[in-house]
Amino acid sequence: MPVVELASVTKAYESKVAVNNLSLSIEAGQMFGLLGPNGAGKTSSIRMMMGITMPDSGQVNLFGKPFERKSLERVGYLPEERGLYKKMKVIDQLIFFGELHGVSAADAQTRAVSWAKRLEIADSLTKKTEELSKGMQQKIQFISALLHDPGLIVMDEPFSGLDPVNATLLERTLLELKDQGKAIIFSTHRMDQVEKLCDSICLINKGQAVLAGRVREIKSRYSRDRVIMEFEGDASFLQSPEIAEANNFSGHAEIQLKPSGDAQKLLHEAAAKATIYRFELVEPSLEEIFIQTVGGKADA
Amino acid sequence: MRNILLVAKREYLEGVRGRAFRMSTILVPVVFAVIIAVAVFAGKNSGVGKHVLIATTDSNLAADIQSQLTDDKDSKTTVDVIVPSSPSERDSLVSKVREKEIDGLLWIDTAVPSKITATYISTSSGDIVIGSRLESALNHALAAERLSARGMSKAEVELVMKTVSVDTMQVDKGGKEVKSSGIGAYLKGYIMGIMLAMTTMIYGMNVARSIIQEKTSRIFEVMLASVKAGDLLAGKLLGIGAVGLTQLAIWGVAAALLAGSAFAAPVLNGQLSIHLSITEGLLFGAYFILGYLLYASLFAGLAASCETEQELQMYTPLAAVPIWLSFSLIWLIINNPSSFWSIAASLFPATAPIVMMLRMGAQTPPAWQFAASLAIMVVSVWAVLWVSARLYRVGILMYGKRATLPELLRWLRYS
Repeated sequence: MPVVELASVTKAYESKVAVNNLSLSIEAGQMFGLLGPNGAGKTSSIRMMMGITMPDSGQVNLFGKPFERKSLERVGYLPEERGLYKKMKVIDQLIFFGELHGVSAADAQTRAVSWAKRLEIADSLTKKTEELSKGMQQKIQFISALLHDPGLIVMDEPFSGLDPVNATLLERTLLELKDQGKAIIFSTHRMDQVEKLCDSICLINKGQAVLAGRVREIKSRYSRDRVIMEFEGDASFLQSPEIAEANNFSGHAEIQLKPSGDAQKLLHEAAAKATIYRFELVEPSLEEIFIQTVGGKADA
Repeated sequence: MRNILLVAKREYLEGVRGRAFRMSTILVPVVFAVIIAVAVFAGKNSGVGKHVLIATTDSNLAADIQSQLTDDKDSKTTVDVIVPSSPSERDSLVSKVREKEIDGLLWIDTAVPSKITATYISTSSGDIVIGSRLESALNHALAAERLSARGMSKAEVELVMKTVSVDTMQVDKGGKEVKSSGIGAYLKGYIMGIMLAMTTMIYGMNVARSIIQEKTSRIFEVMLASVKAGDLLAGKLLGIGAVGLTQLAIWGVAAALLAGSAFAAPVLNGQLSIHLSITEGLLFGAYFILGYLLYASLFAGLAASCETEQELQMYTPLAAVPIWLSFSLIWLIINNPSSFWSIAASLFPATAPIVMMLRMGAQTPPAWQFAASLAIMVVSVWAVLWVSARLYRVGILMYGKRATLPELLRWLRYS
């Protein structure tokens, strides 16, 4: 049973269609990446999952049932636009958000302290939010989204604004939550994070899903037509008719084969002229797939 | 309901713990007390200690006026009399006023006994208090002189001229006459009206400010993921309203303690005696709650459709027009509390709370008018809340540009 499911969902604002006939589903224990250029419809899709806006057509299901507000008690949400009550003490704020999700004040306090230790911000609990740095505030917001132990975690650009150390801390936490069986969906522009963390992705452009599925499976759809070589000797083999484009950095070459290019032929030609230390036929990165799929079509 | 109460509790605690609450709870009564004290002091000292010159050919009349003015010890007036030989001396006496040798000149022309004229010349055109004292003394002296001229003895003249003060009594609902003080009743209505206007405005504005701050801090999106927009607005109105009620309760208890103390007795006795019945207290509470809800929900809708606090401030004077309109009707209400316009203003929801307070000071309106005005207010609060909740639900997620009127109308249509 999918934890969250969008079935042919459409949402339009004024004359602009933000989300057009989008379908996706996420299972428990799955990390899902929602990708797309700016203005593609990622935040609009997430807002519909959270009941902040309602779809014009189609259906949103949470935990196997059509959307109902009661289900939101089992959802943790980190919106793209971060916001906290500036004048409130951090601990009071966390207890307040916990209570709004049905956790008792005492439980919320215990969990807040435990999470704060885990994310290395225990010293900040008694401070007012406005006294904390942006990164610290982001961690507080991260905790407030997880305090009620949600089955579904929805995060819009969770890593933006974090330094590498804290970004890694959050990545590790998300992977632990995934291992506990939580369904996690997040939107991002950082393809390296998607490759590292996500099981499945959905790439949206102009409100429509243009690429969706498991990361491994998507990457396998693209032919391996890039070669990384390390060599010593005559580099004239880089003029081979098999090659569309090549960049040579003193013995380290990145080669794009022609659509009909044969990697084995190239290897023979190269071996005849130079000493080969490395010849690797690599699959395209998600970033390349992203640019290839969306390139030239994006609004932003 | 649980979430409404949680939001209300948060708003309430943030409100009462804030420095602004502590400061305004202490400072507002202090400022009021200072304003009243200054007004009383200024009133007592107005027209006091003046040096006046009376110029007339009738020396008896002048002496009579002089004795009346100097008998009034509170006025501390110095009065000199001059009997001019001709009207040409007037100019030289006026020049004494101009040179500030004297504060004023009372020129009385008695050449034609049936057509006596009097002029008071001073450097200040607003010298109302001394002018009225002189007029009263002149008329008193003239009347006494005329009665003497008709053969009355001094004792008879005194008896005729003896003044009587009027005690004001008010018939209560049980038909009993109770001592009432016109000024006290007026003050009661006025103070209650001002307190109501001030608290509804301040707390209505606090709701608006809170919405704008949450909108600019982008917290709405987090909140809306766990609370419905309507519940969020309801909690906000409840919590901030409760802060207002708490402040009024603190002032009420402090005023009651102060009024019961020996310190206040000399001030609150006599003309300034103020009595607030339980019914009046309850009506004040009811009008505060409804007035606050009306203005706060109006401000909430306004705030949700604005982008910044500065933009909101541009519109708030317009929203406060009914409050100022209520106070502009004050003379009409005090002098004729049962006139058509007084009743109309006390039924019109935007002016009802303050106008009713002012009317209660002058004359307790009939029960049906209270019932009708409260019922109309309840319906109006519901209608304004309905509109504001819709503007709020859509407006709080709209960032970046100011909403146009057609857009606002479209927001109202969204379900």
